[in-house]
Amino acid sequence: MNRAMRRSVAAATGAVLLAATTAACGGGSGGDSGEGDGALSVWIMQGTNPDADDFFDEVAAAFEEETGATLDVEFVEWGDAHDRFVTSIAGGTTPDVAETGTTWTPEFADAGALAPLDEHVSGAGVTDDLVEGLVEAGTYDEQLYGMPWYAGVRSLVYNTEMFEQAGVEPPTTWDELEEAAAALKEEFPDKIAVAVPGDAEFTVYPWVWGAGGEVATLEGDTWTSHLDSPEAQEGIGFWTGLATEGGYSSEGATTWRETDVLDAFAAGDVGMAVMGSWTPGAIVEANADMEGKFAAVPIPGQDGGIAPSVLGGSHLSMFETAEDKDLAWTFIEMMTTGEFAQKWAEQSGYFPGQVSLLDETLASTDPLVAPFAEQFVDGGASVPAAPTYGAVQAKLTTSTMMQSILSGEQDVATASAAAAEEMTSVLNGAG
Amino acid sequence: MTAQAPPTPRSSGQAPAGAGRAAGGWSGGWSGRARAAAARPWLLLAPALLVLAVLLLWPLVRVFLFSLQDYGLREITTGEPNWIGLRNYTEILTAPELWTVVLPNTVGFAVLSVAGTVVFGTAVAVLLASLGPFWRTVTSSAIMAAWAMPAVTGTYVWVWIFDADRGVFNDTLMNLGLLDDPTNWFTGRWTFYAIVLLNVIHHGFPFVAVTVLAGLLGVPKEMLEAAEMDGAGAFRRFFSIVVPQLRQVFAVVIILSTIWDFKVFAQVYLMPGGAGSNRSVLNLGVWSYVESFGQNRYGFGSAIAVLLTLLLLAITAVYVRTVLAEEER
Repeated sequence: MNRAMRRSVAAATGAVLLAATTAACGGGSGGDSGEGDGALSVWIMQGTNPDADDFFDEVAAAFEEETGATLDVEFVEWGDAHDRFVTSIAGGTTPDVAETGTTWTPEFADAGALAPLDEHVSGAGVTDDLVEGLVEAGTYDEQLYGMPWYAGVRSLVYNTEMFEQAGVEPPTTWDELEEAAAALKEEFPDKIAVAVPGDAEFTVYPWVWGAGGEVATLEGDTWTSHLDSPEAQEGIGFWTGLATEGGYSSEGATTWRETDVLDAFAAGDVGMAVMGSWTPGAIVEANADMEGKFAAVPIPGQDGGIAPSVLGGSHLSMFETAEDKDLAWTFIEMMTTGEFAQKWAEQSGYFPGQVSLLDETLASTDPLVAPFAEQFVDGGASVPAAPTYGAVQAKLTTSTMMQSILSGEQDVATASAAAAEEMTSVLNGAG
Repeated sequence: MTAQAPPTPRSSGQAPAGAGRAAGGWSGGWSGRARAAAARPWLLLAPALLVLAVLLLWPLVRVFLFSLQDYGLREITTGEPNWIGLRNYTEILTAPELWTVVLPNTVGFAVLSVAGTVVFGTAVAVLLASLGPFWRTVTSSAIMAAWAMPAVTGTYVWVWIFDADRGVFNDTLMNLGLLDDPTNWFTGRWTFYAIVLLNVIHHGFPFVAVTVLAGLLGVPKEMLEAAEMDGAGAFRRFFSIVVPQLRQVFAVVIILSTIWDFKVFAQVYLMPGGAGSNRSVLNLGVWSYVESFGQNRYGFGSAIAVLLTLLLLAITAVYVRTVLAEEER
C-alpha cells in the first residue's frame, strides 16, 4: 500500500513536471530570447510585402551597422497574430517591437502591454510629419502607442471599358453616381452596376461620413455611436438604396465580403465598387485581361468633394517588455521614416505613414495611384480609436445592419438604430 | 433513431434491479482482505488517472474558475483574478438571444442532423453489406472521400454550389424555369440551415456507415435465415433482428453524433452571414465564439463552455442509462 502510494506520488510529480516543461517549451519561443546580448526581437505580419525576406535582410544589416545589435525578425500570419499577441501578453513573452494592425493598437495599449512613444517621436522631430488618420488610430488616452508605418485606403474603383461603352464619366457627386449606375444597368443588364456588399463595414463608413455623419464619438469617458443620426441614415440609405431600390447590385452581394467584390470585379462583372489601394495588383493577378481596363477616383461626397475613407494599415508598437527602449525606438524610426519606409511602401503597394514621403506619390499620374493618394491625404479617416472597437468588429455590428437592410428584413431607420445602440454599448465595454 | 428504447415502463421497472446487481460486486463483504482486493485495481490505475487528472481535470477546473470571473485581456496581463460570482451564468441564462435564437437553432439542428446522419448512414451500411467485394470497395472508397474532406473545404464547396449569382443550384433552377430571379439562400434562417444540414450529413454519414457496417457483418446469418424461413420480410428482419443486435453500435454513433452536431462551428461560421452578421442563424458554437473570444471576455466564454459540457453530459448520461437498462433486461 505504502509503496504503491509512493509510486503514484512519483508519477504525479512526473506528470506535473511534464506539464511544466511542455508549458515552458510553448511559451519560450517568444520575445526575450536575445535580451542582454544586444538583440532586438521583432514580429512582422506576413503577406503584406512579397519581398519581406530580402527587405529585412537589408534592414538587419543597416541596423547592425548603426547600433551594433542584431535583429531577430519573426514573421507571423495575420490570421494567427491576434491570438499570438494575447497569449504572449499573458505569458510576458512579447517581442520588443511588433507590427500591430491599427485597430489592435488601442486594445493592447489598454491592456497595459505597450509603451508610449510620444517622447521618442518628438525627440526625432517627426510629430507633424505623420499621417493624421494613422496617428488618430494609434492614440489611446491621449498618448501615442502606435507609430504610423504604412496604410492603404479604399476608393471608388471602376471598370473603364464598361464606363466608356455606357457613355458615362466617373462620378463626383452622389447624383452622378446614381445616374452612372442607371446607365450601366441599362447597357449591361446582366452585370452588376455597383457592388453593395453586406459584410464589408469599411465600404459603409465613407457614405456615413460623406453625408456629414459620424460613426461614433467620445465625450469624456463615454462613446456614443451616431449611426442612427439623420445624416448617417441618409448616407446608409443612399448606399443600400442603390441595391434595394435601384437594383444596381446583386442578390448575392447581400452576403459578400470584400474578397467576393474583388473576385467579381476581376471577372469583369462589376461596373464600380469601393475597393482598396492594394487591390489593383490582385485584380490583374486574378485576371490578366483586366490590365489597363480599370481606374479609380476618390469616393465622392454627397454634393462633391471627397468622402472620408478608413485608413487600414499597421503601426509599429513597442512593448513594455522591451529592456532597451532606445534601441527599440532606433529600429522603429529606421522603419517608419526615410529610406526604408519609402522602400517598403514601394514594394508592398501601400502608402507610407510619413507625409513628406507621400509628395512623390501624389505627383504620380498613374490612374491607379494618384486617386488613392488623393483619398489618402485629403480623405483619410479612422474608425473609433477605442480599445473595444475590435469587439464591435467581432460582433459584426455594421455588417448585421447592412445585411438586414439589403435582405429587406428591416428598413434603414430600424436597422441603424439597432446598430447604433449595440455599438454604443459594446464600445463602452458592456457585453 | 431506430435504436430508441421500446416501452419505458418495463425498462424503468427493471432499472433499479439492474443497478442493484451492478453494485453487487462492490457491496459483497467489506472485510479487510476484500477491501484490499477491491482497492488493488484502483492502485494500479492510479498513475494513469493522475496523469489524466493533471492533463484533463485541471484544465476543466481552470475553465470553471475562469467562468466565475470577469476575465479579459487586462486580467491576463496583470495575472490578478477578478471574481464576480455567478454573474456570467446569469448573463448567459437571461440573454434573450439564447432562448429565441441560439438554443432553438442548436437543438433543432442537432436533432435533425443526428437523425439524418444515422438514418442515411445506416441505409448506406445496409447497401454496403449487400454488395459484392468489388462494388463494396468502390462504394466505400467514394464514401471515404466524403469523410476525408476537411470540414472547411467541404463547406466552401457547398457555399459555391448555393451561391446566389454564380452557383450551380440557382443556375439549374433558373434554367428549368422554376426560379425567375436569383435568390440568396444564405439570408433565410431555414434555407441557411438546410444547407448546413446537407453539409453536416454529407460529412458525418461515412462514420456511421462504416461503424454500422462492422456491426452488420457480425449479425449471425443463421438468425436471419431462420427468420426468413418463418416468413419475415426484409423490413421485419431488419427491425426485429438486426436493430436489436446493433443496439450498442447505435448508442455509440448517436452519442458521438449528438456531441459533434451540438458543437458544430466551422460549417456555420464559414457560411456567408454565418459569422454573426445574420443574427437569426447564430448557434451555440458561433454565439459563444463571437461573445467571448471576439470580445476578449474569456470568463463569459468559459461559463458557456461549462454549461455546454453539463448539457452534453446530461444527454449522454440519460442515453447511456436507457441503453444499459435495455441490456439488463
